[in-house]
Amino acid sequence: MAEIVAAALTSHAPLITGRPDVSKPEQRDRLYAGFHELRRRLAATRPDLLVMFVNDHLQNFAYDNLPAFCVGLAASYDAPSEGGAKLMRMAPRKIGGHPAWAMALLEGGLAAGIDFAYSYEIESWDELSVPLHFLMPEGDVPIVTVYTNCAAPPLPTPRRCREMGAFVGGFVRSRPPRERIALVGTGGLSHWVGTPETGRINPDFDRRVLDHVVRGEVEPLARLTRDEIEREGGNGGQEIRNWIALLAAVPGWRGEVLAYEPVAEWITGCATVWVHP
Amino acid sequence: MSKISYPLNKILTAIARRHLLKDALTDEEMAGHELDDAERAALKAGDIARLYELGANPYLIRRVFRRRFTI
Repeated sequence: MAEIVAAALTSHAPLITGRPDVSKPEQRDRLYAGFHELRRRLAATRPDLLVMFVNDHLQNFAYDNLPAFCVGLAASYDAPSEGGAKLMRMAPRKIGGHPAWAMALLEGGLAAGIDFAYSYEIESWDELSVPLHFLMPEGDVPIVTVYTNCAAPPLPTPRRCREMGAFVGGFVRSRPPRERIALVGTGGLSHWVGTPETGRINPDFDRRVLDHVVRGEVEPLARLTRDEIEREGGNGGQEIRNWIALLAAVPGWRGEVLAYEPVAEWITGCATVWVHP
Repeated sequence: MSKISYPLNKILTAIARRHLLKDALTDEEMAGHELDDAERAALKAGDIARLYELGANPYLIRRVFRRRFTI
């Protein structure tokens, strides 16, 4: 049985790297410290693969074809591409994928009733680029991505995301014992993006989510409806589906919040969380 | 469930995928797109609130019309 050697949750937002100058220095420094500590802990577990629960922002999956869940079969990911790199102010780079491992996940999911779509070509936006900028600056560990539609309603239910995540966790444990897999979920917490309320953050919602994560409680999060999340966490808050999937993959594990900052200038409630047995 | 306009999202996706920022769209840029009069007017004005009302995805509004936002 393969080992899940690490699990981590982080927010993603292009301004985290794109406009560090506009944030309050003390907030930026605390959040960056959280990312750096996550990196240290992740590296110490010596993973040979990162399985990442993430979401697209209509860069890859638009209204002509919108999968609820999609496994990335890409041999490499633009994380970021040249175009995205300008906004996120980082160098464009490629992160290696693991198509064979991803195909096994895809086939296993379809056999188990998780109807994944799949894609051989993915251009990452901030969902991979920003967290990996901090967590894996060397870019030396391949990734497998599981994309969930969090950005273009109607969306898969949080409950279904929990089921998908539980499948992924079981699949990882079914792999050969020599594999050392780390799980990373990115997105959230509360933020309103592109709506008339752009810039709003709801720290109360964020703390409720984090409290559940700290207690290892996925069920209360999975019971949330799309409308409840939209009202309390904004359209960007829908990305907690990635957190729900990760928590479901490691039942009983609990979160340790390394940093939480509602950064108004980045229009996002930002957190970094280490999840452990 | 919010309103969805496929024509609006289609044209905004095409611009966003090229990483272009716009303050407003021109008639030339909208040529060939099956937009109704209200959608064309909102794009031409760069009216981000109206685009949201008409069913443009907020992520696409933000990506394309980023300079229209005060934050």
